[in-house]
Amino acid sequence: MNPLVVSALAVALLLAFAWWQQRRRNAALQRQLDLAATELQQLQQACARLAPAGVVDRMVADGVHAATDLPAERKVVTALFSDLVGFTAMSEKLEPPVMARILDGYFQRVSDAVHAHSGHVSTWLGDGMLAYFGALRPNPWQCADAVRCALAMVEAMRAYNEELTRDGLPPLALGIGIHRGPGLAGMIGSRERREYGFVGRTVNLAARVQSLTRTHGVEILVTASVREELGDAFRLQAMPPERVKGIDEPVATWAVAGPAGVEPAAAAATIDLPMKP
Amino acid sequence: MDSALAHVAWETSLVEPGHDRAMESYARRRLGVPHMTVRYFLAAPWVARAVVDLHVEFGLLMKLDQRTADLIGLVVSQENSCRFCYAIVRSTLWLQGMDAARIRRVEQDFARADLPPPAQAAIAYARAQSRSGPAGALSAWQTLRAAGIDTLEAKEIAFTVAVTDFSNRVHTMVAAPYLPAERMPEHPLIRLLRPLLDRVLGSHRSRGAPAGLPPADPALPYGGLVAAFAGSPIATALQRLLSEMWVSPHLSRRCKLLMFAVVSRGLPCEVCELEIARALRHEGLAAEVLERILGRLEAPELEPTERLLLPLARETLWYEPAVLQRRVRALRDVLTPPQLIEAIGVAALANALCRMTAVALTAQDA
Repeated sequence: MNPLVVSALAVALLLAFAWWQQRRRNAALQRQLDLAATELQQLQQACARLAPAGVVDRMVADGVHAATDLPAERKVVTALFSDLVGFTAMSEKLEPPVMARILDGYFQRVSDAVHAHSGHVSTWLGDGMLAYFGALRPNPWQCADAVRCALAMVEAMRAYNEELTRDGLPPLALGIGIHRGPGLAGMIGSRERREYGFVGRTVNLAARVQSLTRTHGVEILVTASVREELGDAFRLQAMPPERVKGIDEPVATWAVAGPAGVEPAAAAATIDLPMKP
Repeated sequence: MDSALAHVAWETSLVEPGHDRAMESYARRRLGVPHMTVRYFLAAPWVARAVVDLHVEFGLLMKLDQRTADLIGLVVSQENSCRFCYAIVRSTLWLQGMDAARIRRVEQDFARADLPPPAQAAIAYARAQSRSGPAGALSAWQTLRAAGIDTLEAKEIAFTVAVTDFSNRVHTMVAAPYLPAERMPEHPLIRLLRPLLDRVLGSHRSRGAPAGLPPADPALPYGGLVAAFAGSPIATALQRLLSEMWVSPHLSRRCKLLMFAVVSRGLPCEVCELEIARALRHEGLAAEVLERILGRLEAPELEPTERLLLPLARETLWYEPAVLQRRVRALRDVLTPPQLIEAIGVAALANALCRMTAVALTAQDA
């Protein structure tokens, strides 16, 4: 056979092989790219639980730093601050793995309650939790949602305490403060670490009111601004006004005893009504 | 084709499919092939009819091109996590010849450059409306108008988003089985018949022609929205849908209006809330009672069915499919099938109309 033809065939074969290999590489890269893009899309949807959709969109479109330039906006939100009563003292007596296990169970239960009541957990502070209602999306029922969430948290802790007691572990006690008010919402933090947050007196007051649960010996306390929004939907008991750090006037609070009559949103679907013929 | 919604939890179907030869053959005539889900909605005929008729490709669009409308359907279904609708739109695009890679690029949003600026603006509006509701959609609407899209086309975009919102919610609430739609592009017979199916579906699609404004009952809400589409076949379709919904007997008119009121309050859509409050006054509900109901979603004046359905309406504002489906599952045990399907239709329609009204009817340039 003509050596020229053989050489041409060999070159053609080599080129075909190289083309085939490149095609395979491209296909593999495309698969990786598709996977990454799908994950990004899912991440974007998951991020909507941490920041308003507009902020997430801006981050995706222009990068995290551009989103941090978004001006903070004034919003009225309901802040729920919860803390474990006496846990610091208890933790000193427990082995670290046991303490971690107890805390994990607590965090999961309270964050499930927040999520189920249209709120979002903003941050964990040791064994405390700060959650907002109405910060990510408009929510005209934010106060009732926060109070129902608090009741669900207390209920979840009761069930959890039964588990802990069965395992020979000490039960946990919860204190919850809820306040509604204005503040500035936006991307907050240092250059290295920023998060969507809310700043203002509202957060401080929710934390102070939470600490008053120990003073009054109750589990859930709400302020006057929350009480106004609740109307007669819950059974509330007035507590004597107390001075708290950073606030000039004594703060009036109400203890939440439970829903008044029928629980509106949460239990409605379970009411047994003779409607079917 | 891998689904971007593969991670979305989805219950097994919550409603037993029924039989109605007339409605099923109507759907087949409209679509060209058997309708996959109409049988799930037969208990409330207006909902079944809306599921069949509320498709912009059936002669409802005069300005917006069908390809952009299809892409809007894809992104809204993806944002609303409706596995069924998403699979259907993807399969339809595939049947029409769009390759899987292009579909993925549109979904992934990184290849918006493939699309002309008006289509990009339309998709951005669709995403904003689904993610943030009217609050976020208003600025996207302004961008849409700034991109040179005229009033009628912009309203057609808003309508396309709204009908997709409706379809997403009704199919999510009954947990329509998504696997047959998702697997369609892999089915050997469908692959073989792809060109034929494309021709059949294509032959049933049509462009809209100018139409007169149908008469409306001034005592009922959304007359303004229908009038905003004067001259378009959308006005006739909307008016007919609203009329059928209001006269349907399975839920009281007051209950339907209250469900609309909850959605209007939650989004919020102030124009809708005013119109609905006026209609409720006609029904004998005092303004202060309505305010008490909307403030708490509970009041002694509520009927038992209303007490059950107002939380459902609220839940449809922002939802995760599985959570909403669990709510519907609980309701299924206490409501009759016609009541349940009608409630699903009302909640879905309230979301579609209130979202559309809050932007398309209240924006400065509308």
